[in-house]
Amino acid sequence: MRVLFVLILAGLVLAVPVARAELVVVANPRSGIERLSEDDVINVFLGRYRRLPSGIAAEPVDIGDDSALRARFYRILVNKSLPEINAYWARLVFSGKTRPPRVVDSIEAALQFVASQPGGLAYVERAQADRRVKIVFELTE
Amino acid sequence: MLARSWLAASLLVCAFSGHAQAENVEPAFALRGFGTLGLARSSSDQAEFVRDLSQPVGIKGGHWSGRIDSILGLQASWRATAELELVGQVVSRLHYDRSHNPELMWAFAKWEPDPRLALRFGRIGADFMMLADSRLVGYSYLTVRPPADFFGPLFFSHFDGADAAVTLPAGDGLLHGKVFAGRTHEKAAGSLGIWNTSGSPVAGVVFDYITGPWQVRAQAARIRFAADMNTAFLETPLRAYGFPEAADSLQTKDTATRYFSVGMVYDRGPVLVQGMLNHIRHETAVFENSDAAFLLAGYRLGRVTPFLGASRWKSESRSGLPIVPLPGLGDLYRLFIAGAAVDRTTYTLGARWDFRNDMAFKLQWDTVRAGGGASFSFPNADPAWNGKTDVLTITLDFVF
Repeated sequence: MRVLFVLILAGLVLAVPVARAELVVVANPRSGIERLSEDDVINVFLGRYRRLPSGIAAEPVDIGDDSALRARFYRILVNKSLPEINAYWARLVFSGKTRPPRVVDSIEAALQFVASQPGGLAYVERAQADRRVKIVFELTE
Repeated sequence: MLARSWLAASLLVCAFSGHAQAENVEPAFALRGFGTLGLARSSSDQAEFVRDLSQPVGIKGGHWSGRIDSILGLQASWRATAELELVGQVVSRLHYDRSHNPELMWAFAKWEPDPRLALRFGRIGADFMMLADSRLVGYSYLTVRPPADFFGPLFFSHFDGADAAVTLPAGDGLLHGKVFAGRTHEKAAGSLGIWNTSGSPVAGVVFDYITGPWQVRAQAARIRFAADMNTAFLETPLRAYGFPEAADSLQTKDTATRYFSVGMVYDRGPVLVQGMLNHIRHETAVFENSDAAFLLAGYRLGRVTPFLGASRWKSESRSGLPIVPLPGLGDLYRLFIAGAAVDRTTYTLGARWDFRNDMAFKLQWDTVRAGGGASFSFPNADPAWNGKTDVLTITLDFVF
């Protein structure tokens, strides 16, 4: 019995860092969209096409330049590392083509931005998506 | 001049506006930069290796040199409104006159009334390269420099004019179309000295289709040269001895050059493959029509991305040129025309190491082979050159 308890405890301790919260993309409740496809999310965050299906101009935000959250988001979305994403933006910014997502320094700032902008889009952990925003895409690892 | 003073003004404002950012408000001003510290050595001492034909001198003789690849650029941008942005970029690199004087690369106003439409006016970049629209930003691409066999003849990097781009969803992907027109403002260096092409009208179209990991591009452009090259040494005697057609064939003023290219990119996770083909047609006999291609493949392993590539640039000799049946002068004319022949192949092996999120080291080895004594694209080549050189390059590329 005691052995079983220790095993369960060890399992819980080991499982914590492994089981990571699911990432979701959130939008403004007045954005006029219910869901986005994976291609839509890629097009908006990589600056290829920043128009939501409802016709509103999309305004994505990145959370931190070097944050683990940002690294995880792009790794799941397009399987690219942060240096690759930065190189991608260097190409577009220095040819005057398009802008990277604006950068905010916290999840709360990202949620505030999305809640205040009809076209705002951000990525957060599912549990962090509160009533101010609407989940429109789930990232699956 | 106007653009220059605008840039200086915006740089000043940038310097004083750093503290004015409120939380969540995107700063209206941004000052960014990019650069490459490059060291390269080319093994042959009988011909010089250059990055593109705008460079008056290259590297040779196995000496390490920072001459051809070192670049520093600064870019200021100001978002006046959500729809209007002003961008200026200054770059220092090796010039046609051997200086590194700062050059105004871009200075344009960009108006985006809708996410589907972008209009730009001013000095804007010529859109030649897939996956690195600015050929000078080494950090943005895999290799140490754009393949010289492919991009060597494209010495224009900007023009004064306008472009209009439209992006629309089409099928499962995005269709991107752009038209551009303007006048060039650049000089090139060659065996005939400096060629000022400023004021040459240029126009073109670019289409891209992006779907999933694929991007395909088709492009056509035309330039009509505003000035002749320094060919008087040959033109004058040809006219004097009664060969006006041969003399006319050496003119570049009011002759058109047309450029066509298609390309594709496959970019998925750690895999990157890109390839392009181009075809260039000249009305003047000073250059030969040519075809070029490159293929590049890389695979990311953690922070290191090894890559390999091949490129080729080959011209076809002119037919139907006037005959000059005069010993001496006729030979000179024939030799001069034949001197524009290009036949070169390069195999490339290298690796990029992203040791930071804004800096990369690259190491690259190129083996360059010029066939049949075609040394047109290698400045100061010795006629006895065997057409072989190996180029080793180390670069540190960064953005800030």
